[in-house]
Amino acid sequence: MTASATTTPLVIKKIEREGKEESQWRIVGRRFARHRLAMISLVIIIIIFALTLLAPVISPFSRDAVDIAVTARPGPPGTLSSAGEVHLLGVDHLGRDLLTRVLYGGRVSLTIAFIVVIFQELVGVSLGAYSGFYGGWPDGIISRIVEFLLSIPTLPILLITSSILIKTDAQLPVPAFVTNGLARFFDSTPQDANKVLVLCLILVVLGWTGAARLMRGMALTLRGQDFVESLRAMGASNGRIIFRHIIPNGIAPILVNASLGLAAIVIFESALSYLGVGVQEPTPSWGNMLASAQSYMFQAPWLPLVPGIPLVLVTVAFNFVGDGLRDALDPRLKR
Amino acid sequence: MTAYLIRRLFQMVIVVFVVSIFMFFLFNIAPGGPLTGLQQQQRRITAEDRARIRAQYELDLAWPWRYTRWLVGWPDGPVTIAGNQYLADMVVGCYMEATPEEGGGCIDTVTLAEVPQLHPAVKSSRGIVFGDFGKSTVVQPGQPVFGLLMSRLPATLQLQIPSLLLALLVGVPLGIYSAVRQYSKFDYTFTTAAFIGSSMPTFFFGLLFILAFSVIPSLNQDQFPWLIALPPGLQKAVRPYELAPGWPTINPGTPVDLFLHMLMPVTVLTIINVAFWSRFLRSSMLEVLRQDYVRTARAKGLREALVINKHALRNALIPFITVLVLTIPGLFAGAILTETVFAWPGMGRLYNEALQRSDYNIALAFIYVTTILTVLATLLGDILYAVVDPRIRYS
Repeated sequence: MTASATTTPLVIKKIEREGKEESQWRIVGRRFARHRLAMISLVIIIIIFALTLLAPVISPFSRDAVDIAVTARPGPPGTLSSAGEVHLLGVDHLGRDLLTRVLYGGRVSLTIAFIVVIFQELVGVSLGAYSGFYGGWPDGIISRIVEFLLSIPTLPILLITSSILIKTDAQLPVPAFVTNGLARFFDSTPQDANKVLVLCLILVVLGWTGAARLMRGMALTLRGQDFVESLRAMGASNGRIIFRHIIPNGIAPILVNASLGLAAIVIFESALSYLGVGVQEPTPSWGNMLASAQSYMFQAPWLPLVPGIPLVLVTVAFNFVGDGLRDALDPRLKR
Repeated sequence: MTAYLIRRLFQMVIVVFVVSIFMFFLFNIAPGGPLTGLQQQQRRITAEDRARIRAQYELDLAWPWRYTRWLVGWPDGPVTIAGNQYLADMVVGCYMEATPEEGGGCIDTVTLAEVPQLHPAVKSSRGIVFGDFGKSTVVQPGQPVFGLLMSRLPATLQLQIPSLLLALLVGVPLGIYSAVRQYSKFDYTFTTAAFIGSSMPTFFFGLLFILAFSVIPSLNQDQFPWLIALPPGLQKAVRPYELAPGWPTINPGTPVDLFLHMLMPVTVLTIINVAFWSRFLRSSMLEVLRQDYVRTARAKGLREALVINKHALRNALIPFITVLVLTIPGLFAGAILTETVFAWPGMGRLYNEALQRSDYNIALAFIYVTTILTVLATLLGDILYAVVDPRIRYS
């Protein structure tokens, strides 16, 4: 009896709190915050991000500078440079500072992931929404292309395309400020920065199907619903219906898809670079650092861990964030 | 069903055709190939020599013709209809190109009539459709690609089959058990571990294994002689070795040697498959366990073991068929990354080698075979799905 008497006001309080208007994104944020692993992952991602952005502040060495004073190559963590500075993570087989390279490698790997995911979601969402909403022959063509891309062996084709385009020195026709900006960010030449963009293009072309399928399905179900009908009755244009109503309604699964996509692209890029057909030396990426680390494993067992640990952390963290987002955005999808 | 099958087969042919033509086009713009190496080796190579070598690898033909010759072995000469030759003068390529100093362009063109003498059927491919995969150009010059692929197949199967069986043996019960004990401590540990396992880059996983079981033990054997250092790669050893100081010597090629070399790659492949499959089975099992007929089975007093093993498991395994069937292409194509990490001489590594050294014919044959296997596996999965689950019908 006493127990129920004490709980009653609590229940009322709770109802009051829920009675307040709360925007959907705040609810999502609150639900996301409850997912402990996802929150930890988010913190890890932010830390790694900050570290790569602060690369020049953290490390006194430049990306490709060979330290001639260091005779042990690869040299262990703590090796002193000619100027008396400490190579915190040691030097690689050519005598370049590993900390600097792993930070710049992170810049490259993460930039690729973000560029690719942003573009593949953009392409996927627009094509998917268009084909789902309008139907007809454009839908037929888009759906056939999606089916085609889903029915081919992705990794072998990714490898072959990338290896050929990297070898041909193909340059992507983008405005000079893009390549120059990227080159400054990566501390590389504009040609090398453009090669990274070529790699991005390949990954986008082979990777937009997921978002397109999601958005197409969404548009197909939404266009038959009453609210779309009433929008039409009120005189809304097709464009308005698509951009203001269909796409925002389908954005939740797209966000999840994007987050998992980030992990997938980091993995794909590192795998390509590891096999030597992705990002090319001297531009560092976690993948190509692992490749050269493997050759020197017996002299320097810590070498593969330097790019490997951030690589694993980032891919697992992006996956956990995607998982948390899925739970937060749609409780029905909870595993 | 027949109409569906015909439509699907037709689509498959189109997919394979489009992939192969696209790849062929890509190779056409790729640099490298048999000529680059030669130019580096012997700088004093005449224009005639160049042309001859180009012709040897059919590089004198324009790529669309090279493609049709590669695909079906046509055109192999002028078109002959009822004894009359047609199109004998049609230009299909360029035998000798002019140097840039001479203004570029073509000095000596190849006509259809010249094709039979330049490219006799014995020297070039009769068409991949008819089972002739052409010859390797760089990796093992002159060797038939089909033979090369076949020589690598046993090594790939040696990795794939054990890991497939092991993954089934471990992954299926794990997924089922975890679903049955949902929200238990085991379930939480398992789902988190499987999640991390399936979201990690596999090749780094392989590197970690080499580090932990090969590099670190072998570096510390002076201090800790009991540490066992596994061989870090290859299919078999080159010279006799011992696992730890004072242990019996293992000779290359013996069953023990082969087993030790298989150990790490098989484990890595198994763990990856277990992580994916058990997660898949867990969710599929959970879905089935929520259904009404399972509740009915429990309500009528069936033993729990019977409900799980007989009623639920059978239905939970249906979607798993698709997953299982999709491993078939990998069975033959191999795991490109795992094979490369462990220097395993399988199909996947051959493909990677061919890409690195621009051996067009090997890479094309590999893509061709894997694409066919992939589309066939998808189709097989869909058909099996309908066979096992009568609710699914294709019309």
